[in-house]
Amino acid sequence: MKHLATAMLALAASTAAAQGTRAELDCTFTGKDHVYDCVVHLARDGAPLAGVQLSIGADMPSMPMAHNIKPVKAQPGKKPGEYEARLDLEMAGEWAVKLRLSGPVRDQLVLHYEFDEKGARPSVRRSGTPPRK
Amino acid sequence: MDDYSIGVLTNIGLFSFLALSAYLLLIAGEMSFGQQAFFGVGAYTGGMLTAVFGVPLPLAALAAMVSGALAAVLVGFPTLRLRGLYFAMATLAAAEMARILFELLRFQRQIGGELVGPDGTQGFRGIRWVFERGVEPLEYMALIYALLVAVLVLFLWVERSRLGTTLRSIGADPELAASLGIDVNRLKLGVAATAGALAALGGVLFAHHNTYIEPRNFDIMLGVHSLAYALIGGLGTALGPLLGVVLDLGALEGSRWFGSARMIVFGGLVAVLLVFRPRGLLDERAVHWIRSRAFRKS
Repeated sequence: MKHLATAMLALAASTAAAQGTRAELDCTFTGKDHVYDCVVHLARDGAPLAGVQLSIGADMPSMPMAHNIKPVKAQPGKKPGEYEARLDLEMAGEWAVKLRLSGPVRDQLVLHYEFDEKGARPSVRRSGTPPRK
Repeated sequence: MDDYSIGVLTNIGLFSFLALSAYLLLIAGEMSFGQQAFFGVGAYTGGMLTAVFGVPLPLAALAAMVSGALAAVLVGFPTLRLRGLYFAMATLAAAEMARILFELLRFQRQIGGELVGPDGTQGFRGIRWVFERGVEPLEYMALIYALLVAVLVLFLWVERSRLGTTLRSIGADPELAASLGIDVNRLKLGVAATAGALAALGGVLFAHHNTYIEPRNFDIMLGVHSLAYALIGGLGTALGPLLGVVLDLGALEGSRWFGSARMIVFGGLVAVLLVFRPRGLLDERAVHWIRSRAFRKS
């Protein structure tokens, strides 16, 4: 009930967070079925975005809500703006990778990547161009 | 509660709207493979209203429900003349048409330095009305379940009313119902509109939970699952479709017992149930048995 009341209050408020965070994903196949070691590159206003807490989840665009991948917390990587996490997906194919940023910057991004044994690459849609990030 | 549990429960809640939408048509005797289209109509309408035009979510949700109902009437008017498999095929075709229309839909505006709005196959990013207001996932889940409970209470009330009996009668034998003076076609059109509005409500909640939607989100798999949930859970009570969703997303997917074989297990479960319990686990007989036991005890 407390959570519902908070949600109602928040929905009545009118503050808005700025957009502008950019993300890229770099994943390598670990050799274990559908498990990938990923590096997320975060940038904001052209500069690497360091010091945020990053949670990574994933969903399949062709079957939304039916695959609940356990969100993982990413660890800061070797360079500023880099975050590392291991993704354990259920199957190969296109996944909508959901990045939830908290801490100094609060944001939510969805990236579309094709995962297979070669790793991961941005999905190409029918129009021939990868989706905007 | 951890992020994973919140995610699973939120998805169960969201899917329940779609399963209830399929269930409503099933008890009226129609099997629709196209409820995902109205889910999509709700998602796109609600998303555009909040993200592109800055309309508050409650108003956008209402508008999405109205557009879902109108779309359902538009589809239902010609297709409800058909029966059985022909109706199922027609709803599937209509849903695919809707999905292709979503692929053609392009309407973007520059908001805060970003292009926001539907961009065809590239999808629709930036549905951030809920996110930007600082609503946490747990709070949004509470909102989804509050709405779901309200819908369920309405369903359970209708099922005990004369309208509920009339709905089941047109589902069981439309000719007999018509001979008793019931305007079957008009009632079915009303059912289709209500089911469309319900699916659209689920859609608008889904879009704001996800912050991103795309036409492929609303393809046949979503429709088949919503129908399967209603059929697995049972057609004896509105709690049936919820049981179906919980069984698949909660037990099969959430527990990870079956890993990537889950879809095979789910398909097998549907096949077995259709043979042995064609009206689902909580069918009319089971509900009657449970009620009679409950009343005997009290």
